Amino acid sequence: MKAHGAPGAQERFRRCNTMQWNKLGQLPNLGNCLIWQPMTPQDISNLIVRTSMKDRAAFDLLYRQTSAKLFGVCLRVLKDRGEAEEALQEVFVKIWTKADRFAVSELSPISWLVAIARNHAIDRIRARREPAAYIDAALDVADPAPGPEAAAVAGGESGRIYRCLDELEKDRAAAVRGAYLDGESYAELAARHGVPLNTMRTWLRRSLLKLRECLER
Amino acid sequence: MTLAGDDRPESGGDDLFAAEYVLGVLAADEREIASRRIDADAAFARLVDAWEARLSPMADAYPETVPPIRAKEALDRRLFVAEPRAGLWSSLAFWRGLAAASVAALAIYIAVPYLNPPAEQPRLIASLAADGSDVRYLAVYDAARREVGLSHVSGERAAGKDFELWMIEGKNAPVSMGVIPAGRITHMIISPAVQEKLAQGAVLAVSLEPAGGSPTGQPTGPVVAAGDLKSI
Repeated sequence: MKAHGAPGAQERFRRCNTMQWNKLGQLPNLGNCLIWQPMTPQDISNLIVRTSMKDRAAFDLLYRQTSAKLFGVCLRVLKDRGEAEEALQEVFVKIWTKADRFAVSELSPISWLVAIARNHAIDRIRARREPAAYIDAALDVADPAPGPEAAAVAGGESGRIYRCLDELEKDRAAAVRGAYLDGESYAELAARHGVPLNTMRTWLRRSLLKLRECLER
Repeated sequence: MTLAGDDRPESGGDDLFAAEYVLGVLAADEREIASRRIDADAAFARLVDAWEARLSPMADAYPETVPPIRAKEALDRRLFVAEPRAGLWSSLAFWRGLAAASVAALAIYIAVPYLNPPAEQPRLIASLAADGSDVRYLAVYDAARREVGLSHVSGERAAGKDFELWMIEGKNAPVSMGVIPAGRITHMIISPAVQEKLAQGAVLAVSLEPAGGSPTGQPTGPVVAAGDLKSI
């Protein structure tokens, strides 16, 4: 065991120290150094690798840096705060025990973490006992407004996938988004869009193939 | 229960099955099959990864929501049960490493008033230290008393300078909690806004400032000590 006090905090400030304080002394804008800089993907990768070696300080810092995103994923899929908290813990238990698998994945570190959280949250809603009640609840809370998505497009990061979604028919693009972001099943999507389940399956399969074609164009 | 009926997912080929798994539309039993294949079949696992990579930009739309601190505490209990009350004891070990045995006595001295809290409010503790600095503080936040108790373990402020305490929450700019009064043990009253943030588990930092505190409202001098608040 090492670095009990505040490994996360000290690590961030140390970086700041070497970058600015030694050289510049005490300048007024050194306060910037205190702000938590978002970590780079390489930083997150390092933390995952160190977590796979059971480095608890790295795990704590990884949690601090990524739990808000992964909690956002669990909340959106599960639509229940208590259950999302429970799911978040299970997700980080998986990250702690399976971090070594990151080495063989070709995903970016944050995509790898989000995939664990999404898949876990989706497995959880599939395991729920009362699917009918769930569909009603999902319809009540589902947020069809494209707020965050639009913001993401504006940010440019995910512009490409949304341009490709735009090439699909409107309701099919909505079904793809609903499936991905909310983890809706074929059955739920079919009920929501008022089409037979197999029709929904055909829609989405064709949409996925078109999406891939567009993304690889 | 198989929702697919005759139209089995495999009929679309492995690639579509992987895509459907990643999209999240499969029923529980189909997801179970996919998940087993990911573990057992490297080629299928690569197809799944490729779809994760293709669709992952959509994940930008998930808003970040800071989970409550109890989630991390429950996680630590779940993962590290072999170390009961690890936070307290590991912290104690840390303090001992930092300074002489008198530190422990001081720590107990400031902690004693908190050991019988009037209500079940969170009590958080932080060891404040930084590389290249001999300044060490031990901080105890007591929500019920709305104050932070500080034990000055080591490190002197330069003449004409003060130590200022800051709270840093997530990626936000530091918020001043005030100039730390001189003395081995001091208490600082916390504003309601800061209390709320502290309960979520913020970072505390000490910077060296001109006498009377930072003139700008942001830290102007070096951070001489910092640490995460952890629950006792």
